[in-house]
Amino acid sequence: MNDLADYANQLLAGALVTIELALTSLLFGLLLGLTAAWAKLSPSPWLRHPVTLLSNVLRGIPEFLIILIFYFGLSNFLADHFDGAIEISPFFGGVFALSIIFAAYSSEVFRGAFLEVGRGQLEAGQAYGLNRVQLFCFIRLPLAWRTALPSLNNMWQSLLKDTSLISVVGLEDMLRKAQIGAQYTKQPFVFYAAVALVYLLLLAASNPLFGALEKSANKGFR
Amino acid sequence: MSDGNSREVLRVEDLHKSFGGIEILKGITLAAKPHDVISILGSSGSGKSTFLRCINFLETPDCGRISVNGEQIRLRQDGKRGAFVAEDPAQIVKMRRKLAMVFQQFNLWAHMTVLQNVMFAPMRVLKIDKKDAELTALAMLEKVGLAEKRHHYPSQLSGGQQQRVAIARALAMEPDVMLFDEPTSALDPELVGEVLKVMRALAEDGRTMLVVTHEMGFAREVANRVVFLHQGRVEEDGSPDEVFASQKSPRFQKFLSSMSNK
Repeated sequence: MNDLADYANQLLAGALVTIELALTSLLFGLLLGLTAAWAKLSPSPWLRHPVTLLSNVLRGIPEFLIILIFYFGLSNFLADHFDGAIEISPFFGGVFALSIIFAAYSSEVFRGAFLEVGRGQLEAGQAYGLNRVQLFCFIRLPLAWRTALPSLNNMWQSLLKDTSLISVVGLEDMLRKAQIGAQYTKQPFVFYAAVALVYLLLLAASNPLFGALEKSANKGFR
Repeated sequence: MSDGNSREVLRVEDLHKSFGGIEILKGITLAAKPHDVISILGSSGSGKSTFLRCINFLETPDCGRISVNGEQIRLRQDGKRGAFVAEDPAQIVKMRRKLAMVFQQFNLWAHMTVLQNVMFAPMRVLKIDKKDAELTALAMLEKVGLAEKRHHYPSQLSGGQQQRVAIARALAMEPDVMLFDEPTSALDPELVGEVLKVMRALAEDGRTMLVVTHEMGFAREVANRVVFLHQGRVEEDGSPDEVFASQKSPRFQKFLSSMSNK
């Protein structure tokens, strides 16, 4: 157990990287997912079809593979075309891969939630002279948000755990730190059990947050 | 009465609308002067709701002219699909500020409180500052007798109360014309009275109102004009006394007898 204490700082640093990675990916994933949902519902087939296809392809490939393809694919592409002038860090590569995975799934969640918004709610907005942006920001999005939240909570749980996959491209996240500790001390069980507990605690801590969000979004609904 | 009485606040000319090749409105002309309360009657499928929805462009008419306060809404034919679209979407938004709609299903915004529902459009669309919007909203809620429910959500109110809030929401826009699309049709019979009472008070205040309705009592007693639509055309048009007394068209007679059988 003393070994674990020696590595505590390292594990803590790793945990911070994990949290940063998850939150950054969540932010970009939500924005991308919303944009993709909007494109999927667009009347223009030139927007609708490519985005739907892309999201279906991304959802049909294991997350782990997507990370490998994007990280190494993108690294090679940049190395070939820019002579190594631009390098992507494992963190940036991780955010990129996790965001598009999150977006691929959340775009479906948002699409469904947008379709759930009652036509009358939108018509009232139109009839009272709201422009398209106001209609989206004040009526459509808040009403869809409420429907989307439970699924988004689910997806956030997957996202936080999927950050561990980024350790394969050399990111020193919590799992990678645990691997290093386990190798040096020859106590894999202790280290892996310890980080498993941290993942659990992080998710346990985020649950009340989502609970509060859901409660506030459900105001006005019986 | 002022000389403004002779001008028209709303003029609709030769309005046509088809859905999927079936012509619902076959050329409707109607003009409203200030303080007019016009009841639009008709059996289901007569096109009366479509007519109302065309006036504020929730449906785009196929052809015809609509003017609000003398300003005509310009339409152009969309090259690709042949459908009519507004030449200038901003003009539609501007027109809609003058025409406030009350819906059959109330359509209050479910995620906003009663007060927020009434304040929202004046703040966001008319750009009235929050304090003034709140004062106006409270005054309008007072008018419909629901000021004490201002912090409730629509789902916590009865249908009749929701419709009264919807009327307050319309009033807060200070519209030139209020459009009512079957405002009591979704209500339980015992809740119809409270909504009609509010509408009667508005008529007495001199509001210009277009009311699509099945309430014969309202049409007879409150409206100063009754229009009967049948299969997309105006069949009867006149003061309630004239229209109900003469019953020129046999279709109107049939409609009236079917209503009294209910």
